Amino acid sequence: MIKHESIEKNVSLMIVFTLVAIAIGGLVEIVPLFFIKSTIEPVKGMRAYTPLELKGRDIYIREGCYNCHSQMVRPLRDEAARYGHYSLAAESMYDHPFQWGSKRTGPDLARIGGKYSNHWHLAHMEAPRSVVPESVMPAYPWLRKTDLKYDDIEKRMQVLSMVGVPYTAEQIANAKKDLLDQASATADASGLTKRYGNKVPKDDFDAQSDRVTELDALVAYLQMLGTLVDFSSYQAQTR
Amino acid sequence: MADLKDGKTTGHQWDEEEGFPLQEYNNPLPRWWLYSFYATVVWAVIYWVLYPAWPLADGFTKGVWEWSMYKELKQDLDAVAVKQKPFNDRLEKLSLKEIASDNALLQFAVSGGKAVFGDYCAPCHGGGGVGVKAGGFPTLADDDWLFGGDLETIRETITNGRSGQMPAHLKSAGGAFSDAQVDDLTQYVLSLSGKSKDAAAAARGDTLFRGEAACNSCHGDKGDGSLKGTLAGGALPPVGAPNLTDAIWLYGGDVQTVRESIAKGRTGHMPAWGNESASRKLSPLQIKQLTLYVHSLGGGK
Repeated sequence: MIKHESIEKNVSLMIVFTLVAIAIGGLVEIVPLFFIKSTIEPVKGMRAYTPLELKGRDIYIREGCYNCHSQMVRPLRDEAARYGHYSLAAESMYDHPFQWGSKRTGPDLARIGGKYSNHWHLAHMEAPRSVVPESVMPAYPWLRKTDLKYDDIEKRMQVLSMVGVPYTAEQIANAKKDLLDQASATADASGLTKRYGNKVPKDDFDAQSDRVTELDALVAYLQMLGTLVDFSSYQAQTR
Repeated sequence: MADLKDGKTTGHQWDEEEGFPLQEYNNPLPRWWLYSFYATVVWAVIYWVLYPAWPLADGFTKGVWEWSMYKELKQDLDAVAVKQKPFNDRLEKLSLKEIASDNALLQFAVSGGKAVFGDYCAPCHGGGGVGVKAGGFPTLADDDWLFGGDLETIRETITNGRSGQMPAHLKSAGGAFSDAQVDDLTQYVLSLSGKSKDAAAAARGDTLFRGEAACNSCHGDKGDGSLKGTLAGGALPPVGAPNLTDAIWLYGGDVQTVRESIAKGRTGHMPAWGNESASRKLSPLQIKQLTLYVHSLGGGK
């Protein structure tokens, strides 16, 4: 048996054992990443975010929404009753970075999409306590007054496609048009639905038809969250 | 060192100081610590065998107990479903009226409805349906209804949602009327609940209301809403146009708010909860419970 004395007094042996110890930790953490395809269950309905949703996601991160809101429904009875089906790995496969979070000051937002009307989101962002008296959420009134900056949208989509988000050349070429169409109640959205499916939430989210604001983008993003996966066709793997 | 009582040094000495050299002890570990350490190592091995532990190329070791959070969730949900089954079976079979006349079953349905309401409905309608400060969300705890407060109508509203459309009247907002005309209409609407301070304007608005602006085609000839009101020579469409003669306001009853409603119009939207195409769907059973709960809030017809 090797005594620790012989390891401590022999530098080469110490290095060899140190490397072995680190390699085990590294392998256990890194190797599964190479097999990530088998750890993400395939589900129907996942799509890349539309340009407007993508900008909304950027605002979500900029305003630090993740500091109080998680996007991860855990497999627990109370969460199943309140939020619905637990979150799947596939649902955040196009998130860079994912927004799972763990600080649950506010409700989980993984399935907030379609739960409340656009009008509610408007009132809620303007003055949260005007609709939920016990809320501790800060107000975000400037979002409705700030025009959305989206001149870099194609570049953002290109960068995301480099890390695996399947944006097509057509989607990137039509990014600005799709963004404007989604934020309008009246625009012809046939191009948008052709490229992103007909479940895309589309409306004049901020109730200001003459401009596209940051609130348009944020509400579009929120109204999409958790609505993509088709759970009627989803069968949980035995695991 | 000579006065070392137990244990040994490793023989290594860091400094050259005479009398009190800095040396390294090589004492044996305390037994209690050592045995605890061995016990944790043994426990780790037992854990690997029993529980999910090691990641593999296409999955992970599942452990002989095959424990998983997903299974535990399913067991939890199944256990609740078994307990609720006798009630739920009857809720599914019986009509809303029959449930309402069976007190024990009604209690069960209302408790279930209350839980669903708290998360899905309260953000807009307020806890217990008492309404919220922001405009546009009707209070459900009173007996003033836009589309109807009987059981079947409440169920229809929850299942398929509602849309309220008040058109814009001011020219600059896409309507057909001047600023002065919108002021007159505002005064007339306020006069219906005795709040107008300008009788002449209200009289001009009165003419517009049933004439050019045709407000009566939704709000009724007397302005008492599409539910209660009447329209000479026709029927009022079920569009949820509010009663303008009472003290209950959907967006607010002060001059500015009423004027804004008339000038720019309003759009109200109640999501559809039972619709196949709805992204958020409640089951018919949940909607039944919700209907009975909302009906019980005080204003059920």
